[in-house]
Amino acid sequence: MELKVLKATIKKEFQVRLRVYPISFMVGCILTSFYTTFGAWLMYHYFFRRQLSDSFSGLTGTSDYMSYAIVGSLMYLFVVRTCLNVSRTLMTELWEGTLESLMLAPFRRVAYFLGNMLLQTITTFGETAIATLIGVFFGLRIHEFNIIEFGIAVVLSLYCFFGVSLMLGCVMLYTRNTYITQNTLFTGMFLVCGITFPIEYLPTGLRLLGKLIPVTDCVSLMRAALLGGMGQGQFTQTALMALISGTIYIAFGMPLMKQAERLALEKMEG
Amino acid sequence: MIEVRNLKKTYDVKRRDGLFKSHRERIEAVKDISMRIDAGQIVGLLGINGAGKTTTIKMLTTLIEPTSGTYSFDGMDAIKHPSEVKKQINMIAGGERMIYWRLTAYENLWYYGQLYGIDNAVLKQRIEKLLKLVGLEDRANFPVETFSKGMKQRLQIARGLINDPKYIFLDEPTIGLDAVVTQELHREIKSLAKEHGKGILLTSHYLSEVEELCDYIYLVNSGELVVEGIKKDLTDFVFLRNQYEFSTKGMDEAIYQKLKSHICHVDNEAEISFENGKTVIESKMELSSVLAGFAIQEMLTINELHKMEPSLEQAVIKLSKDMQKEEIA
Repeated sequence: MELKVLKATIKKEFQVRLRVYPISFMVGCILTSFYTTFGAWLMYHYFFRRQLSDSFSGLTGTSDYMSYAIVGSLMYLFVVRTCLNVSRTLMTELWEGTLESLMLAPFRRVAYFLGNMLLQTITTFGETAIATLIGVFFGLRIHEFNIIEFGIAVVLSLYCFFGVSLMLGCVMLYTRNTYITQNTLFTGMFLVCGITFPIEYLPTGLRLLGKLIPVTDCVSLMRAALLGGMGQGQFTQTALMALISGTIYIAFGMPLMKQAERLALEKMEG
Repeated sequence: MIEVRNLKKTYDVKRRDGLFKSHRERIEAVKDISMRIDAGQIVGLLGINGAGKTTTIKMLTTLIEPTSGTYSFDGMDAIKHPSEVKKQINMIAGGERMIYWRLTAYENLWYYGQLYGIDNAVLKQRIEKLLKLVGLEDRANFPVETFSKGMKQRLQIARGLINDPKYIFLDEPTIGLDAVVTQELHREIKSLAKEHGKGILLTSHYLSEVEELCDYIYLVNSGELVVEGIKKDLTDFVFLRNQYEFSTKGMDEAIYQKLKSHICHVDNEAEISFENGKTVIESKMELSSVLAGFAIQEMLTINELHKMEPSLEQAVIKLSKDMQKEEIA
């Protein structure tokens, strides 16, 4: 039955998007990636005058700042698009008046969320591909492409983003707010997850905060798969950390989501 | 059989007192409700002044958990096993909610069918049957957003029947529907209960609808059960009486006085008046045969003998007014 729900949710979401694909939203996200990359490019060329401190290559394993920042911004686009849509699914159901009819059906929520996640992943891959082309224009160079590491990074990223989406979705459903919640989280992630600079440059508290969000490890893994600069042992250790933190997010996110659903239905009473 | 005993639901809500001040308040949406729905029975749930009908339905559909009380579903503890209950129930609410506007009618029913894990072959047949039932077979492949309000409501009814539920909760199901569709829906509701043995709980603002369809009625006010029973029990509860209009050929004051004394022997609480050559009697008793007997005895030709039973609407309105008076007092 879970597979039925998973397949049906993918099909339903696909049908909805086929009719009303939010093109402006997609363009907005690609533009965010463009602005991030462009901002990094401007800073690198006109503020830093292409001068990087020695510590940068020591910390990141690369001296190609533009590729470092572009991979970070592509991952940021990926996490924003995925988390945003998955975490907002129940809020969308609430707005569209279908939350009650959905909750009346006796299905496992995990299949429903995974269905949404998988369809979103396909869409996001397309959007990231467009953003990658923009990145190439700004100087993205793939130095050491490792297909196995890339595969591991993609799978672990999806796993972790699913966990983050669940937690974000709980907060959204509980507060009945999407904009403040999502914008706070995404701005926070941009600052503390090593999107355009290594988190080691941050104060200790923020660095620890960045470590608690699995996106940081996922970005590091993706950079390692595309740009190199990370030994096998360190890659395995980072992958393990991402797996553990993703599991913790999912393990807490699922039961919390049930609670948030219950509260949302009660709040509908006013 | 569905049976709930002493069902209660309280909410803790935050109330704003100003920009930065707020306080917590406990709201008792449902204070004490006990009710029963048998298979094949249509039960009405009527409410006065924010009675807690929707909260009750949400508890019965396991969407929300009661604060206290027991809920037995065909002998099973429904509070402990909500998933099992969900397989055998469905809810149809009034309005245009509970369906995806961007999907077609067919896609909507297919998706909900998948959520209930219905076999695809069975589901295909059921969708076709339900679309025919609600008169949407020609619009099956049109997006719902192009539908009229009535069509959306009809699709919602089909959605509520997609899992062939044993018990159906109808929350204002005919709101916004035209008379023809309403009549068809009434026929279908009766058929679902009487021919297919489904237990139905109906809430409606149209009291004539409740009167026409329901075998048993629960009347709630401020989260508490006020009265339950068949329509007559409710009208008796508020002391509503039958009204008789009686006139004969050549009826005059003398005959009226004779009739008045005759009626008072049978029911000394009856109210009798003489207006426009007609005697109007209000009584809790059955007086048709008494009036006919009087005409025979006095050798009078009956022009009119008309009995009007009090309606459910009259009963609810009177009860509502009485309660408002009590609250003010």
